[in-house]
Amino acid sequence: MTLSSIASLSDSLDYTVMARDVHMEYHMGSETIHALQGVDADILTGEYISIMGPSGSGKTTFFNVVGGLVKPTRGSVYIDEIDIAQLDAGELAWLRCLKIGYIFQSYNIVKAMSALENVTLPMLFAGVPPEEAQDRAVEILGRVGLGDRILHTPKELSGGQQQRVAIARAFANQPAIILADEPTANLDFKTGEEIIGLMKEMNRERGVTVICSTHDHKMLDISDRILWMEDGRVKKVARREEVEIQIGQMQEQHGGTGT
Amino acid sequence: MPSSSWEKKRLHLRPALVWSIALSSLRLRLGRTVLTLLTVTASCAFVLFLLTTPATDPDEQEKWALMLALSLVVSMAGVLNTMLMSVTQRYREIGTLKCLGALDSFVLLSVLLEAAMVGITGAAAGAVIGLLCSSVMGLWQHGLAFLATGAWAGLWWKVAATLFIGFFLTTFGASVPALIAAKMPPVEAMRGEK
Repeated sequence: MTLSSIASLSDSLDYTVMARDVHMEYHMGSETIHALQGVDADILTGEYISIMGPSGSGKTTFFNVVGGLVKPTRGSVYIDEIDIAQLDAGELAWLRCLKIGYIFQSYNIVKAMSALENVTLPMLFAGVPPEEAQDRAVEILGRVGLGDRILHTPKELSGGQQQRVAIARAFANQPAIILADEPTANLDFKTGEEIIGLMKEMNRERGVTVICSTHDHKMLDISDRILWMEDGRVKKVARREEVEIQIGQMQEQHGGTGT
Repeated sequence: MPSSSWEKKRLHLRPALVWSIALSSLRLRLGRTVLTLLTVTASCAFVLFLLTTPATDPDEQEKWALMLALSLVVSMAGVLNTMLMSVTQRYREIGTLKCLGALDSFVLLSVLLEAAMVGITGAAAGAVIGLLCSSVMGLWQHGLAFLATGAWAGLWWKVAATLFIGFFLTTFGASVPALIAAKMPPVEAMRGEK
């Protein structure tokens, strides 16, 4: 396993997320699906890591397990050295509210609410006074480029704008980790690029750890590291520079006709 | 440096937030709210109307009792179905709220509070309408003598029973799907089905 060398360093405090031998099984009728088959991963504080892999490789399941959105069948996920399987409902809610910001492929903006209300909500859950929450929401919405659309509902916003609302909402409580599950999959090329750029800027500005599952090769350019998954396992982990060299070599071999 | 500093941190239920979310949810989904309200109002009006138009003829007693039983069954089916629909439609949203830090108890209480507000309002409106209808009919058939037919005997109990039926059916109808949604892992809830 490529990660064994990293795993031995896990005493270090620099890891925000550590996954150890995570298994996930689903039952679909009489069939058992092994979505994750022993995933180990270590994610550094402040890094931007992309999780790549074909459909059905377990990216989304891994994302959900790390985010405390579903419990793994076996294995542990540690966030800041705490096994999240041990958390009770109130602690789990705290984790989801203040420690992690989620960004989904399908935006998941609350349809009945305006952009402002959507961004305010996690702050209200966290106990921020309503006026302060609103001021902060206005500021973040301005930051993601929606300053003139704060009172619009999802119906009045394009896909890219809805994803901006989702990004603003994910950053509202200044989380330590942003989990993004194929955030650009439903967007056109240009909008996707803008969203990726925005996530990278927020990652740099705020020192937030970004974990992003994606099919999108544009993501490679801005990632610090890339983790490939296949058949519910981590196939390899590489730093961006290493990947660029590999792509360069590939292009040389194929006469520069690469991606 | 990340450390175990958040180990003891947890979110607590905020009653004020439950109120404001329940109220804004009723407002933001006005169409659905009105539909639910109408169902409850019509059901409660029907029940109180029957309660306040008892059969004077002994031969009609059985028929009256049957009508009353039917009205209860119809109300129950209508209101439970409406509540079930209105909550199951929101599984996805509930999943999203849980991702943002909503507690299970928050989800459950805000949905129940919403249902209770609709239930009480609808039942009160229904009681007024039902009583009005039975009074008009009584006056038309018997003149003021209708008061002597026993129509208004134990009126307060009848009104109270009607209010209770409206309240109970809405909250009970909402409680089952709300409980399921509250207990569901967010991911499953967001998939939008049970």
